[in-house]
Amino acid sequence: MSLEEQQSDDPAELESGVSRGDELADLLGDLVVGREEHLNAPGLVIRPDEVQDALFKLRDEAGFDHLSCVTAQEYEDRYESIYHLTKFDDRTDEVSVVVPTSKDNPVSQSAEPVFRTADWHEREAYDLVGIQYEDHPDLRRILLPDTWQGHPLGLDYDQDRPQIATLREHANPLEEDHRAGDSNTMYINIGPHHPATHGVLHVETVVDGEQVVDLDSDIGYLHRCEEQMCQQGTYRHQIMPYPDRWDYISAGLLNEWAYARTAEDLADIEVPEYAQIIRTMGAELCRIASHMIALGTFALDVYGDFTAIFMYAMRDREIVQNILEDLTGQRMMFNYFRLGGVVWDLPEPREEFFEKIRDFIDELPQALEEYHDMITSNEILQARTVGTGVLPPEVAKSYGATGPVARGSGIDYDLRRDDSYGYYDELDWDVVVEDGCDNFSRLLVRMREVEESAKIIQQCVDLLEDWPEDERNIQANVPRTLKPEEDTEIYRAVEGAKGELGIYIRADGTDKPARFKIRSPCFSNLQTLPEMSEGEYIPDMIASLGSLDIVLGEVDR
Amino acid sequence: MSLQAVLPDTISGLLGLEGILGDVVGGLVGAFLIANIMLIMTAFAGPWAKRKITAAFGDRIAVNRIGPFGLLTIVTDAVRLLSKELIVPEGVDRPAWDLAPMVIPFSALLGFAVIPMGNGIQLADPETGLAFAFAAASIASLGIVMTGYASNNKFSLIGALRAVASNIAYEIPLVVTAASVVIFAGSLRMSEIVAVQAEPLLSVAGVTIPTWFAFVNPFAFALFIIANLAEVGRNPFDIPEAPTEIVAGFQTEYSSVYFVLIYLGEFIHIFLGGAIAATLFLGGPAGPVLPGFVWFTIKIWAFFLFTQWARSAIPRLRVDQFLEIGWKGMLVLSFANLVLTAIIVGVIV
Amino acid sequence: MSSEQKPFVTDDTQVQTETRDARMAGADDRFNSKLREAFGSSPFILTKFDKFMNWVRGSSMFMLQFGIACCSIEMMHTYGIKHDLDRFAAGVPRASPRQADVIIVPGTIVSKFAPRMKRVYDQMPEPKFVVGMGSCTISGGPFQEGYNVIKGAEEVIPVDIHIPGCPPRPEALIYGIAKLQERIANGESSPVTVKPYELEQFGDLERDEIVDKLAAEIDEEDLVMRYNWADSP
Repeated sequence: MSLEEQQSDDPAELESGVSRGDELADLLGDLVVGREEHLNAPGLVIRPDEVQDALFKLRDEAGFDHLSCVTAQEYEDRYESIYHLTKFDDRTDEVSVVVPTSKDNPVSQSAEPVFRTADWHEREAYDLVGIQYEDHPDLRRILLPDTWQGHPLGLDYDQDRPQIATLREHANPLEEDHRAGDSNTMYINIGPHHPATHGVLHVETVVDGEQVVDLDSDIGYLHRCEEQMCQQGTYRHQIMPYPDRWDYISAGLLNEWAYARTAEDLADIEVPEYAQIIRTMGAELCRIASHMIALGTFALDVYGDFTAIFMYAMRDREIVQNILEDLTGQRMMFNYFRLGGVVWDLPEPREEFFEKIRDFIDELPQALEEYHDMITSNEILQARTVGTGVLPPEVAKSYGATGPVARGSGIDYDLRRDDSYGYYDELDWDVVVEDGCDNFSRLLVRMREVEESAKIIQQCVDLLEDWPEDERNIQANVPRTLKPEEDTEIYRAVEGAKGELGIYIRADGTDKPARFKIRSPCFSNLQTLPEMSEGEYIPDMIASLGSLDIVLGEVDR
Repeated sequence: MSLQAVLPDTISGLLGLEGILGDVVGGLVGAFLIANIMLIMTAFAGPWAKRKITAAFGDRIAVNRIGPFGLLTIVTDAVRLLSKELIVPEGVDRPAWDLAPMVIPFSALLGFAVIPMGNGIQLADPETGLAFAFAAASIASLGIVMTGYASNNKFSLIGALRAVASNIAYEIPLVVTAASVVIFAGSLRMSEIVAVQAEPLLSVAGVTIPTWFAFVNPFAFALFIIANLAEVGRNPFDIPEAPTEIVAGFQTEYSSVYFVLIYLGEFIHIFLGGAIAATLFLGGPAGPVLPGFVWFTIKIWAFFLFTQWARSAIPRLRVDQFLEIGWKGMLVLSFANLVLTAIIVGVIV
Repeated sequence: MSSEQKPFVTDDTQVQTETRDARMAGADDRFNSKLREAFGSSPFILTKFDKFMNWVRGSSMFMLQFGIACCSIEMMHTYGIKHDLDRFAAGVPRASPRQADVIIVPGTIVSKFAPRMKRVYDQMPEPKFVVGMGSCTISGGPFQEGYNVIKGAEEVIPVDIHIPGCPPRPEALIYGIAKLQERIANGESSPVTVKPYELEQFGDLERDEIVDKLAAEIDEEDLVMRYNWADSP
């Protein structure tokens, strides 16, 4: 590559060949004012008023088209925003753009013109940490009430000060705007308590007749301070229960894996192969459970009541939950992973357990056949979903959409394969991609992913069954207290049920993280809702929301 | 030229009353009887049968603790709902808001006046019986419109507007399809329509198939059932209520007694739809062995079961698709059916 | 007839709780009986009528379709095939609060949601009952220390039954609802707890630093909920 050739006379080459960081620093030239080294990627320090230039260059010239996450944090002497960039085509190629701002004037340039997804991420950073973003289209609080005082993840926040939250009637933002002459718009609040919002999402909708003309998702009704909770817990044991509660639709093990992977990389812990297989199997069971709910609630949205399909999905999910309960001891909040492995081995008698999984896997194709009969081959459902809620791949990428939402838009991106972890690269399975970009594709992706997950589980069971008895090592040796070195920073992600679930941790030399940031896939996916729904009918908006399969616990954290 | 004495005459005959007094008393007692029959049926259908049927489609059991088979739920649900606080939200349009819950069930009940239920149970048998039944049934949508605008709730308003749209779009195919039956029968009088269907159509292996219009013209029957589903607002056409989209549609703001009345109205409406379908296409109360009234009950319950089945298994259409099917599909097909029927009847007769 | 059909009613001579006494004395108008207001609680026919009404209310309830957080998944399972809450005549979820009797609060309540939940509760017609599902509705659960988390549903609305667990299993939820039905059938209304957080007009708030600061942003008539975190348990 030409870039590398240019770099050959760079002094940094002397140490370890041409590092990726040097290459990118060269590309950005004067824009880089300093360097940092994160465990996952090189860090380039950029001045706060040159963020857009740097990101444009990285996006257009080096191909970093995926802004995975924006982390904001406060140090004793400065604020800092970190843009975690990577590529949809090559997930392992990462770079962190670090933007420090001064304490008394925390203003930084917004990345929103470069990556649309930065909109919400920066609003969150403003809300929780207090960094201001210049050039941002709509910088207001996102998770906390508008009238909140202070920024809770800042260093000097006083948690005991009183706060006031309002119950306002929202005004129609388009009321005065009679664009089409006699058009008359009406504002309706869909949520936070509404049967189709999958929890407590508030969709501020402006409709013209039955058509949605403007839409804004108001989130934060389930902001449970997950990041603060994790920053108060110790690495070894106290953090692990929380991930279960982010994406609570039984995706527990997938979430736990996100934390386990990050912390294990941070503390340099090697996980035994046997434990990795158990993890892989458990995680895929969770994925099936999660997709079953997605299917059931999508049917609920389109059918309109607790009908047969919802009930059937619940029935199949119940079986998965029973298996997971046998494995972990809990139905939903598993707390089963430990740093360096899992907490206990498979339940005895093992044959019975395997038999149970095998029965489930054997019956799954038949169950899926039933769903296909009732759902995907139903012409009314096709009329409802094909061609509605269209999300073109370019838009999806710009919003940082991942998981089944991205794969339903034809983006071939799956962290299990692209940035492999666990035991996935040893197994035989396929990444499911549909290029319809509509509600129907996203539904199909989930249904086909269930089949792929079953394939993975099948192989894991085969492996576990033949595993020699004296090599069943479920945990690596991990020190009682973990104290990663000061100022080590890491951002790692796994493929959760809804997409790329990433965690950023900065260690400060104690046994608790100094900053714990969660990159939630639903948060980014939900941002695409206006793109999919504006101009469509209300029922399509509801269907699109269902097909995004958001979990408010993860959106709001 | 009534084929059979209607119910009020029978009653006044039994009581030995004559003249105006006989008409009034007979009419009142008859109306009371029929209204009660329908209310009892609805009471079974609403809180109990609906739950049991839906549950059966979803592999569940549903109510089974309160009384045998959970039957006492009918009592508890009714009494509880009636005893709840009646919330009158601020800003409702008072007379309309209060009247709407009356209009919806009573208009549907009114339709039953001309339905022959077998064994001489028929309140009146006017010459324009069929037209009366349709007219009465469609008053319900007026009630829905009233709920919609009077509730001062945006979800209700959208629900009501959808109800209007659906009514206009599907009432026409419904009536036009029924007109094709009238061409066959040569009368709008309900009892005559039933009587015409009693003649044998053909005989297969000793079993005589009567000229029920569902057998004579199955196409019209299918059209009628589909239009009827839309008329009573059940899946795939339940857009006026559409729980996941617009909360509870036009009934969002109603609680307590008013909610019961609306709920009741919906079920009576389903039964009325079934009754009209049975009269027009399934020979009314005709059937072997069992008495006519039992057959009539079986037929309208079959229609009820069908609506619940559709509700459990068929997705809801989007509002524009719904109207498209109504205006571009059903309307054209129903007129084609009418013209064809007219030609066939004209040529044969 | 009715007495044979009470699945959960324990011998009511044994139930002599204070709340019941209070209710019989007319101190609590939760059940909203106009007749009792008119006649007092003594006449024989009214006590029988009361008993019948309690049995009715305990044997039939519509739930509000209300999902907040993790617990709502287990709630869905409770409505679902295996557990089937509707066996107890309590499995009809209504989307509109106007038609619901019982609100199951299934999850963590945070500052932004509390006013909305209060509003939804207010929209339900009396007599209404609240089931607090999960640790979060008891104390804030695992998130109790969060800066944004209300320390239990009782801070905002009165709760009749608390079901512990994180999340409670469907069996636990069914048990909780069966208990609620039993209590209603016995004529016990819930102890209305102190609710420190109420919806009030902004103009009515005591003036202090934060009120002064927000005076420009919030109208006097706007309904607000003020959280005094320092006083929370």
